[in-house]
Amino acid sequence: MLDQPTNERRLTIARAMAEAMQQEMQRDPTVFVMGEDIAGFGGIFGNTRGLFDEFGKERVRDTPISETGFISAAVGAAMDGMRPVVELMFVDFFGVCFDAIYNQMAKNTYFAGGNASVPMVLMTSTGGGYSDAGQHSQCLYGTFAHLPGMKVVSPSNAYDAKGLMTAAIRDDNPVVYMFHKQLQGMGWLGTEAGATVNTPEEDYTVEIGKAKVVRAGTDVTLVGLAMGVHNALKAADKLAEDGVSAEVIDLVSLVPLDRETVINSVAKTGRLIVVDEDYHSYGVSGEIIATVTEHDISKLKASPARVTFPDVPIPYARHMEQFCLPNPDKIVAAYRKM
Amino acid sequence: MVTDVKVPQDFWQDDGMEAVITNWLASDGAKVRNGALIAEIMVEKSQFEITAPADGVLTIGKQVDDIVRKGDVIGKIT
Repeated sequence: MLDQPTNERRLTIARAMAEAMQQEMQRDPTVFVMGEDIAGFGGIFGNTRGLFDEFGKERVRDTPISETGFISAAVGAAMDGMRPVVELMFVDFFGVCFDAIYNQMAKNTYFAGGNASVPMVLMTSTGGGYSDAGQHSQCLYGTFAHLPGMKVVSPSNAYDAKGLMTAAIRDDNPVVYMFHKQLQGMGWLGTEAGATVNTPEEDYTVEIGKAKVVRAGTDVTLVGLAMGVHNALKAADKLAEDGVSAEVIDLVSLVPLDRETVINSVAKTGRLIVVDEDYHSYGVSGEIIATVTEHDISKLKASPARVTFPDVPIPYARHMEQFCLPNPDKIVAAYRKM
Repeated sequence: MVTDVKVPQDFWQDDGMEAVITNWLASDGAKVRNGALIAEIMVEKSQFEITAPADGVLTIGKQVDDIVRKGDVIGKIT
């Protein structure tokens, strides 16, 4: 029994996010949380559980269904010395409140000539796979990462989820924290077991803007984020059965984007497949491929490929949605075509 | 000594209600402490916490996505 692990501490991403907010709220009285159903209910994705009981209604504030109002309020609070964490329950709801996000939150520091900062976190759920249809299943990574003035992160596991949330709260810039619903460990959203990992109890940060090589390989580079990392890792297992050595990169952050880690990996493998649950066109997948080809196209042994969501609204019908989503088999097929 | 890890009787009222194991937060074969959070189960989109009923080494019985009811043994601690 002595060789058994004694310090195992596996957390779901939902718990890891809540723990980071809890510790930052204990450490810093200016941190508070706002959003729909985030107080007594603990967030519909479980990521604010326990906060209301510990910190009360002044610092854990349920809001009306009025995203424009409470996200704008957070921008004002942030510029006045607070560090709000606000939740846009589904990223799909950005349409009603985008002025507050990209014209105020993202630009006010620039408009103020650097004399004001907007240290807030906008956390929002992404992704589908559980038949929640076209207004509750999108990723929209490219939509947010495209616009200057805000950092954008998306964790693939609980360790990164906690460290990124802590880093986001401490950052003096606005950070969009996009968490994939299937990685939350909530059951009814579908659960990816690989997201639930050992997570230290003490506070720590994961650097925003730094990608991670999560599996080393020599024949092809698979680049993804959030759910895409898990699909890539499963594809790497399948490819390994046929003697193909795949390297898997977790982008972790979209803004700033760690282009160097991707470039260095493709310089070694010569082949690139980007896995992205966001729409195919005008998105992260195109940006990653452009990054590599602009740098040194001679390193590529084959045309790059992308496994993405087709440019259609996300279907409700399970078979139709699953047909559209990236999966490990599609990644393996993309490699076979190279 | 072997202690069963059971779905408690007092989490919800309806005896026939089906729950599903959503997460094991301790691994099969891991050493756990009495009272430590080791699993989550879900009923109608609400999660409940399962804690270790004793100190010892956990053996997982029911897997993630398995259906369970009140009183079911989902693991043991030795």
